[in-house]
Amino acid sequence: MVISPIHYIFVPLATAFLIPLLQKLYKDAARVVPGLVLFYNLVISVILFRRVMQHGTVTEIIAGWRPPFGINLIMTPFSATLASLVSFMAFAVWLYGFRFKRVLKGGEVMYYEILQLMMIAGALGIILTGDLFNLFVFIEITGITAISLVAFYRDRHGAEAGFKYMLLGSLASSFLLLGILLIYTQTGTLNMAQIAQKMPAVDSGVKVIALIFILIALGIEAEMFPLNSWAPDAYSQAPSPTSATFASVLAVAALYALIRVGYTLFDARMISGFLIVMGFLTMLIAEMAAFSQTDLKRMLAYSSIGQMGLAMVAFGIGNETAIFGALFLMINHAVIKALLFMSGSYFIYNLQTKKMDALNGIHKRLPYVSFLFSLGVLAIIGFPPFSGFWSKLYILYGAANKNMLLLIIGILSITLIEMTYYLRVIGRIYFAKEKSEPASHKPSVNALVAMTALALVIIILGIYPDLISGYLHQAGRFLLDKQAYIQTVLSMR
Amino acid sequence: MLKKIFVWFLLAVLGIALYASFGRAPFGENRVGPTDNPATVSAFYLKNSAEKLQTANSVTAIVVNFRGFDTLGEVTVLFLAATGLASILYRKEDEDEEGEHLPVRINLPASSIVRTGAKILFPLILLLGIYIFVHGHLTPGGGFQGGSVIATGFLLMFITYRRFGTNHKVMVWLESLSGLAFVLTGLYGLIKYGSFLQNTPDVGHLNDLVSGGLIPLIYIFIGIKVSTELTNVLDTLMNIKPKKR
Amino acid sequence: MKEFQEIFLRYHALLQAAVYGSAVLLILIGLYAVLMKKHLVKIVIGLSIIESGVNLLFVAVGYISNHTAPIFSPGYEHAADKMVDPVPQALVLTAIVIGFATTALALSLVIRLYRHHKTANIEQLKSLRW
Repeated sequence: MVISPIHYIFVPLATAFLIPLLQKLYKDAARVVPGLVLFYNLVISVILFRRVMQHGTVTEIIAGWRPPFGINLIMTPFSATLASLVSFMAFAVWLYGFRFKRVLKGGEVMYYEILQLMMIAGALGIILTGDLFNLFVFIEITGITAISLVAFYRDRHGAEAGFKYMLLGSLASSFLLLGILLIYTQTGTLNMAQIAQKMPAVDSGVKVIALIFILIALGIEAEMFPLNSWAPDAYSQAPSPTSATFASVLAVAALYALIRVGYTLFDARMISGFLIVMGFLTMLIAEMAAFSQTDLKRMLAYSSIGQMGLAMVAFGIGNETAIFGALFLMINHAVIKALLFMSGSYFIYNLQTKKMDALNGIHKRLPYVSFLFSLGVLAIIGFPPFSGFWSKLYILYGAANKNMLLLIIGILSITLIEMTYYLRVIGRIYFAKEKSEPASHKPSVNALVAMTALALVIIILGIYPDLISGYLHQAGRFLLDKQAYIQTVLSMR
Repeated sequence: MLKKIFVWFLLAVLGIALYASFGRAPFGENRVGPTDNPATVSAFYLKNSAEKLQTANSVTAIVVNFRGFDTLGEVTVLFLAATGLASILYRKEDEDEEGEHLPVRINLPASSIVRTGAKILFPLILLLGIYIFVHGHLTPGGGFQGGSVIATGFLLMFITYRRFGTNHKVMVWLESLSGLAFVLTGLYGLIKYGSFLQNTPDVGHLNDLVSGGLIPLIYIFIGIKVSTELTNVLDTLMNIKPKKR
Repeated sequence: MKEFQEIFLRYHALLQAAVYGSAVLLILIGLYAVLMKKHLVKIVIGLSIIESGVNLLFVAVGYISNHTAPIFSPGYEHAADKMVDPVPQALVLTAIVIGFATTALALSLVIRLYRHHKTANIEQLKSLRW
């Protein structure tokens, strides 16, 4: 059997159905089996990514009917990069969390692992699909798993955060359905490539209304202002491996959906102004909110929203340089934020509190974890020689190419705010007087390996970004070329 | 007060936007076109449901074959909702030593008319449900509809009899196996015919009970999965014991 | 048959207003409930009503006047040209099931919240602002 994109989806799916049965045979099946599946995903990522780079795209037909009559999966350089990123991050998070102590109690582990695995499968489905309604189905899959995971812990805040997310998520799906239906009435098809082909002929009033519905829906999922009030609560109340997954996998998939619909189905020029304005607002408000936080996970959550805003701005700027920066930013954000959540989680676990004023002098107890955390902080602000530097630089280059001076000033000022609240935390960790008792929970080996791997990625990409810049340029070019996308899909046999 | 004005304004704008935009696709207008030379996706589906797939119910053909991947996602959503539900409502004290759930519902005892009627109706409802999903490719209906009917039958029993419970182990096995069966059928299509969920070439004759190739088989799996899943969800939601004092 | 055709043509605007209008009305009613009501269960019901409205709109859009259900029963094997659009019906099937799943999950969260707070009023979910 040839390795094809469908493996990304049906292998985790079959495993998720199997886990309740395997659990009866072998007590720890639920912890170990997802790791095997995610490792398999990682392996096929490498294979499929190389194939995409050689042939331009990798496509697959489902159920034997060629598009637009059947559903198709398509890996463009953009989606292949993101799919590989998601697979890598999923494996790293599993590695970090599979012996996670707080979830140790018997029956619950199974639920947790199934939900995490299916969230990954859902995100991969969003990234790989070529059909609009299929996109909706996979967004629902990720939504349902995410809600359940947010509400996982027994204390009351989890359920509240979950309810808020569920409320907004439900509204998002209804709006998405309305938008999809509107597009269907005007174009008669649900296949993304064929919609892209027929869109220019659609009456622009209806087009705008459909676009607004879909932007509202995907904006809720992608944490755009003002629809992102669910995100800080969700990120901070979920178990830490889940928060890491949200930041790296879910946000990436949601942003991909937004860009794919905006760029390919509609027109990049229609949404560029909107993306710049809303993205900037998202960034501004989120970073200012992060500044006044006292809770570590909430601060990281607001910072994540801010980074998503920056990515939106970059996609809005729209020239090749900015898109390169945006793609690099998505990769960086996934890796760095996950590292921050992972290391931050050990702080919280040791101090039994999420408040940051308890972090004073903790570098004495957890020296390596503090080092990793600080590395993440420097990377996300954009200090060289870490990977975060390049993404910010290229986005600013892109803005400069279009003479958007105000925007550059805006982004730099917000970076200053970021520096303030992040360096404040590092200051506490290293230079403040200790207040708390000795910690007793050093991270386990698997967690250390996972976190170190992420740190290495940050350092390597920082020093030698050319390792991936060729791929990212190709991804950006293909993204901007709508006709190539349409041609590839509609000529499938 | 300000919120009320804002909400009314928003609703008015939304209502007008919806009505105006959907008004561009007038009610009853034929947007499908002729089926002998299909110009739209719908016409293609109608033509090939009868010809290539020999399936009388074209909606079934779309749900299980043409857009079978969506249905796979949908079945997954159901499974995840049941899992999520169990995860959210999980309480250690509801299980005894072997992990079995003890059904104790707090509804009022039902009258004798209901008790007798329920006992008669329950097997009939189950039969109807099974009929619906076995004939999904011939008559309106299918796995989801039949599964819901069966779950309704169980709901009737849950409401009437407070101690009526389902065997948890059997439910878990049925759920997992039927879901797995669906995925494996897709895998069979991938290995034998070249793409995931592809149908067999031998599709029988229109309106036969055995027609449509793998389509009725998949719908039977879906029917079993949906009925067990919905019943499980109902069971979980109804077993809300008040916390022990 | 001919009379139905004439009636449909004459009252087309009214029929369209009735069908599309009721679907849109359902969506608006549901949205009102979600935005204005304080009781958690009422909010969940509101979400459910919105979904019903959307599904109704789907099916309404698929209708073609004078056409019949897209099932090739004995006697209708060659009636493909006289059938309604089957695609929205298939989409609605999926959408209904997904809507059910979301509602079930929502209600379980409501149960959890009620267990902790002993009240189902959304005003007390304020502990997570800023």
